[in-house]
Amino acid sequence: MKRFIFLRLVNIIITLFIIATVTFFLMKLLPGSPFDEERLSKLSDEARLEFLAKYGLDQPVYVQYAKYIGSLIKGDLGISYYYKGQTVNALIKDRIGPSMLLGIQAVILGLSVGIILGIIAAYRHNTIWDYFTMLVAVLGVSIPNFVLAAILQFYVGLQWGLFPVAYWEGYQHTFLPTISLGVTVIAIIARFTRNEMLEVLQQDYILTAQSKGISECAVLIKHAIRNALIPVITILGPVFVSLLTGSLVIENIFSIPGIGSLFVDSIKMNDYTTIMGLTLFYSAFFILTILIVDLLYGIIDPRIRIHGRE
Amino acid sequence: MNKSLSRLFVILCLFLLVISGCGFTDSKVNKREKVLNLSLDNDIPDLNQVLTTDGISFSILNNVMEGLFRLDENNEPQPAMAEKVDISDDKLTYTFHLRDDIKWSNGEPVTANDFKYSWLRAMHPDTSGAYADILYNYIEGGEEYFEGKVDESKVAIEVKDEKTLEVTLKAPSPFFLGLTAFATYFPLNETFINEVGEDKFALKADAILYNGPFVLTEYDQAEGVTLEKNSEYWDKDNVDVDKVTLKVIKEKSTALNLYESGELDRVYLSSADVDTYRDSDEFGTETEFISWFLQFNFLEKPFDNVNIRKAFQLAYDPEQLTKTVLNNGSEPAYGLVAAGVHGNDEKTFRELSGDIVQPDYDKAKEFLEKGLEEIGELPKIELLTADDTVAKDTATFLQSEFKRNLDVDIDITTKPYSGRIETMRESDYVMGISRWGADYNDPMDILSLWDGDPLSGLRGNYFNEKYKRLIDDASNESDEERRLKMLIEAEHIMLEDDGTLGPLYFEGKAYLQKPHVKNLIIHPYGASLELKFVKIE
Repeated sequence: MKRFIFLRLVNIIITLFIIATVTFFLMKLLPGSPFDEERLSKLSDEARLEFLAKYGLDQPVYVQYAKYIGSLIKGDLGISYYYKGQTVNALIKDRIGPSMLLGIQAVILGLSVGIILGIIAAYRHNTIWDYFTMLVAVLGVSIPNFVLAAILQFYVGLQWGLFPVAYWEGYQHTFLPTISLGVTVIAIIARFTRNEMLEVLQQDYILTAQSKGISECAVLIKHAIRNALIPVITILGPVFVSLLTGSLVIENIFSIPGIGSLFVDSIKMNDYTTIMGLTLFYSAFFILTILIVDLLYGIIDPRIRIHGRE
Repeated sequence: MNKSLSRLFVILCLFLLVISGCGFTDSKVNKREKVLNLSLDNDIPDLNQVLTTDGISFSILNNVMEGLFRLDENNEPQPAMAEKVDISDDKLTYTFHLRDDIKWSNGEPVTANDFKYSWLRAMHPDTSGAYADILYNYIEGGEEYFEGKVDESKVAIEVKDEKTLEVTLKAPSPFFLGLTAFATYFPLNETFINEVGEDKFALKADAILYNGPFVLTEYDQAEGVTLEKNSEYWDKDNVDVDKVTLKVIKEKSTALNLYESGELDRVYLSSADVDTYRDSDEFGTETEFISWFLQFNFLEKPFDNVNIRKAFQLAYDPEQLTKTVLNNGSEPAYGLVAAGVHGNDEKTFRELSGDIVQPDYDKAKEFLEKGLEEIGELPKIELLTADDTVAKDTATFLQSEFKRNLDVDIDITTKPYSGRIETMRESDYVMGISRWGADYNDPMDILSLWDGDPLSGLRGNYFNEKYKRLIDDASNESDEERRLKMLIEAEHIMLEDDGTLGPLYFEGKAYLQKPHVKNLIIHPYGASLELKFVKIE
């Protein structure tokens, strides 16, 4: 087990290095500089180059790359060009809180509601409950979360005044964005749980359990749900990914100072160090999520645990 | 069971930890306070007045800092930190007399040294930013100092005494007083900067020393700022508002919802919403000193031919563009210098110079035929534009106008904003949609860009000896009337004789504002937001 984790960590570092390299060169293909080019256009060509030289941007790309990787190894993501004077490390630290909170809440909401809906749908297969749940699931997957966010903001926030329209000033401000993000998760999880449950409910061991005279409820909880939920864990990785990409837009709509909107802006502004820092941050996050999911999988279903040589 | 309970407990604890760490801001408001709630359409990049280059930062700084002069509602400079100014007869030497009762927010007096320190800092090769030229272009010795050729004793900024500052200019610049109202010209307190440290300066609300009508009490780049009335400000009796919040809201629809719910007092509209609100009493429009134009490249066929340039210049109607396509408060442009830019005491430059390029499709066709006789056939023409909605819509409009009025097919090439600028700088285009936002309130600001010294791809590689001479002479002319005449002649030469570019529109914005907010001034250039004079009824 330890060996497995060690190998995976080595793997992760190599992957991150490749991502850093590819992103760096792709990013340098973007036209322009992190500065107000219209303003710089007033300067002569020499003055403009001199200005860029102040930030080391006049050097060949491979030199800039070597310098960047050098400081990256020391854990230093550099100083933002756009947010002048701010280190990227500090920017991420300041902005990660809201994004994390929304992500975790959306997953909790999505998992709890999604699993319950999925179980009900499977248990009451081909009834009105089933149809209703699947309607919710189809709508949840097909309505983009930013559309839902706009609708929630207008009706629940503005017209009915139940929750704040936007801003990040108290816990009640997290409700609408969490729901906007969580509905997709509910939909995915509900559909998945339902399918798994249907399959499990037809297994012989369920029939055995039922024939032993165990109560319906116990069969469902002890035998069916537990087995049906194992595969649900496998899709948590992709769900997290969709949450983070989804939060890019949701954060803008609700004016939340998270890293999603920071990422979008950094690309628009050619803020090289911030683009790199956030890309690496997101990548590391995804890869670690996948690792954790793999480990969880092993814990829940011992058959797929990887054994070291004994 | 116990095990799972304790697990649940751990998860809950972790969750609470996350919540407690995500820093909600508190916005409790005292009811009796006069509060104004506004929004910013993007994050606040940098409040270091020397380095910053963006409109949002300038707008905040303009209300927490103050220069020697401050712009009034007509964009005319009025004495601020300075009580009065003596200008020499040759219009080169300005002697500013500072007020007695001006103080920094820590109670220390603002002195002439604070201005000298700040201005030198803004021009020093190590500490300067992209706006260094807004000082060194005018102040004697500034450019040499910026290039590191001379030391500060050669820069013509002299502290006569604590309250007297003398500045000598390179050339008579009638707009200089307006420049002293701009962020890069604000004073700085040397002792304070040394105390907080160069690298920490202006990163937090308490890492700036203020001398304007307001001070920052909260500053978060992603959330926004809170301004409160500065109790040390010399003119605090004329500041009516106690508190102003400026919150970052990137989505226009969100801002509109917040306006409707009463949480914002002013909001800019997207063009899709303009028609819904046009008849409202709260609706208004404002135009900025931002000129949009169609730049022809003189080094590329077919626009090396003057008749072809003129044909394209006359073949579209700017009014149709602003009314039907943009629909956002923009004004049609028939000249290059934006509407409202200073002319003489009675009239604006635009009024004096008149409508130079007016659409005339018959004439356009004549020019095209004449041009074709000279060059033979039209090559493939590509129109370069940025990839935002407004720029793309403008390009599509021009494409259909050229087809309809000239029967010429053109292709559209879109690039990201900075890609568009880079392509034009490298002169790799035939015609492109471009813009210029004024730094100061004078036609010289935009007209001097086309002096062709050196040739610039961004300016279509335009060079005309006569035009350059007029611009140079105007720069050195101390007689206002004569100077103005030269600039008017220059604009006519570049547009009428040479067909250098096709004016499109002067950028505008449509907004809604609550009726209880009065005297909120938005300057059309530079640091636009002016909160000092706001009254809340």
